[in-house]
Amino acid sequence: MAKLCTGALAYKALNGLVCVYKPPCVTIKQVQHTIITHLCRDLNALPNGPQEKRVEIIGATNEPMSVCLVPNYADNPLACGPRFINEDFRCSWATHLGFFSSGVLLLGINEGTKLTYLLNTARLPRAYKLHGQLGKATDTYFWNGKTVERSMHKHVSREKIDRVVAHMQAAHQKAMYELSGVHMDSQTMYDLAVEGPIRPANSKIPVLYGIKCVHFDSPNFTLEIHAVNEYEKYLWTLVHDLGVQLKTSAHCTGVQCIRQGKFDLEYALLRKHWKLEYIVDNMNRCRKVLEENENLMRPISAVLSI
Amino acid sequence: MYAAKFLIQRRSPVFLLNRVFITTKKKVHDPSEEELLPIFQYPISKSTDRRVYVWGFAETGALGIHLPRGKKGKKSYKNNFKLVWHPMRSSFAERFDITNIACGYGFTVASIKTSEQHKVFGTGINTDSQIGYHSPRRNHPLELLLSYAPIYIPYKSLECEIKAVAAGRAHTIILTDKEGVYTLGNNAYGQCGRKVNVNEEYKGSMVTHNIQKLGKENIVDVCCGQDHSLFITESGKVYACGWGADGQTGLGNYDNRSTPTAVIGDITTEKIVKVASTGDCVLALNNKGELFGWGNSEYGQIPMATTQHQVNTPYALLNFTRGLGRIVDIAAGGSFCMIVNDQGDVFVWGFGLLGLGPNVQHTATPKQIPPTLFGRNEFNPECVVKKISCGISHLAAVTNNGDLYMWGRNRQGCLGLGNTNDQHFPLKVAIGAHVLKVACSVDHSVAVCKPFV
Repeated sequence: MAKLCTGALAYKALNGLVCVYKPPCVTIKQVQHTIITHLCRDLNALPNGPQEKRVEIIGATNEPMSVCLVPNYADNPLACGPRFINEDFRCSWATHLGFFSSGVLLLGINEGTKLTYLLNTARLPRAYKLHGQLGKATDTYFWNGKTVERSMHKHVSREKIDRVVAHMQAAHQKAMYELSGVHMDSQTMYDLAVEGPIRPANSKIPVLYGIKCVHFDSPNFTLEIHAVNEYEKYLWTLVHDLGVQLKTSAHCTGVQCIRQGKFDLEYALLRKHWKLEYIVDNMNRCRKVLEENENLMRPISAVLSI
Repeated sequence: MYAAKFLIQRRSPVFLLNRVFITTKKKVHDPSEEELLPIFQYPISKSTDRRVYVWGFAETGALGIHLPRGKKGKKSYKNNFKLVWHPMRSSFAERFDITNIACGYGFTVASIKTSEQHKVFGTGINTDSQIGYHSPRRNHPLELLLSYAPIYIPYKSLECEIKAVAAGRAHTIILTDKEGVYTLGNNAYGQCGRKVNVNEEYKGSMVTHNIQKLGKENIVDVCCGQDHSLFITESGKVYACGWGADGQTGLGNYDNRSTPTAVIGDITTEKIVKVASTGDCVLALNNKGELFGWGNSEYGQIPMATTQHQVNTPYALLNFTRGLGRIVDIAAGGSFCMIVNDQGDVFVWGFGLLGLGPNVQHTATPKQIPPTLFGRNEFNPECVVKKISCGISHLAAVTNNGDLYMWGRNRQGCLGLGNTNDQHFPLKVAIGAHVLKVACSVDHSVAVCKPFV
């Protein structure tokens, strides 16, 4: 862990990407605010060098005047407040994560905001664990909504879920080509299609690259999803649709983002570690990942890079 | 003080009337309300349930979907349509248990599971009585059927079951379990396996021909090319009859043959399990997964040592397919051939839109269609092609997940992709069920599917 001597030096080092674990039922804004507040608190706690002095020239003007240094109260924390405040930091997210979702969240701090912009346009695929429950449908598609329907689900087996889920993914096979922005009849399209999954050209329509049922214990199940351009509500509707296709009803009980590009849960900082030294350390790890994978931020082709 | 109180008193009723809720927080619902809801049980399909999806050219009636068209001078029906752009569920298949289905040139033949007289139904073009004699008015037989109608066949016993159906350009072959093969339709070249009568009128014909056994053996599978027929017997021998100008009967000559005759050449000692033919080229597969071919070879479908455009003797394509693994399914189109091996890799050769991109029009050697196009990638590494099928100019593949991929010439929307643009590489067709089998023809396609749940 880096040794931080003064607050001013530490502040200068705080430029880059951090990977944090967003807890559920907290907005991203709150996460940002908490992290920045913690950073300010820790920076202010560091030794901040001697207090500035003010030059004072005193004495009568028609006589030789004397110059002396007096403490500058404008630089006194008691007079002007703490040295670092929240407004000193810029902070932005790479891709949005909904209120009820938890998991990997990439935040850019100060100069890192430029990186998050690049990561956003690079459209890194995100992996999710989607928890659902059969037998009940709600008006919001999430567990907190009002129940609108109940149905039997005894006939649902693991194989049936696997079959429906594979079909749901295959339906996106065509969408993937159409959203790439390349003409369907061109050789370029063919060359792209041969190489594998393609990133969408814009950020409007969600594309699914893989869905897998990783756990099934009736009525609860867990899906693992790889997608681009998805959002919280879309993932909930996915569980609802799965319920309909299985001739029953289902609602989502939890959404967890487990990976974004190369950043998985191992990189994500837990809430208890949202402190200056951990954040600086995490920033260095993220920088290393970005340096090792040049085309993570600036992809050369439209082929999906994980 | 008084003023302030007065104000509040004056304003409070007004304030109540114009009440605006600033919060978007939803009212917390009562969890006990949930208990009042009934518990639904949605209908669940049986494991034997099948769904049939059809798409392509609808005007011939081959899809069995009948919607009224506008008459001359009259306003056309709102839903008047010529093509079915996307796979559409056939209502005929909902009423009967379909066992086999075959696509001919502009007509469809389907067999159902029943112990009654009408076991086979047909729809579409009927100019040569290939789907039986249908005459609502005396002496005015229908030349076009817009919905499924039963085909009358003089079965000896109603207990017999239909094992397979096959359809060519204008003839139909029906294979039963105990009574051999029934053929009907055009016999101009002997493709029905009976003597050719030059003056025979095929329109409104009621003739069906029965072939009990071939070489004292039962017939186990049938296949129709354009104007020729192929039969496989129990021991794996192949018999052929019909049009032979390209050598597609495999009898060592270019003559038409009106009686099914055992095919000669390299396959006489082999046990053939499948033959495939849509146009004039024939492929055969033996039980060891080896490939044989004969018939039209204008585009190099049957590459021999010496360039020959018409191969009249079956030829073993062992050297040609060396290193491709054990072949499990074959398909022969109008100008190309396709095979799939036990690894699920698809290979094509010949001429046309082969699925190798717009730049590849012709390939003389088998070229693999990249498996990524069938959905195999790091997310789904187990995705492999299981079954293939060909029309005259379009191709289809079914994966182990029951997904249907189609490509090729999109004549009359027969690819089911929602347009009539040619498709240069395999593309997923939107079908909401697990596809088991697909049958293709000139301008329409039919898929037999199993519901997911």
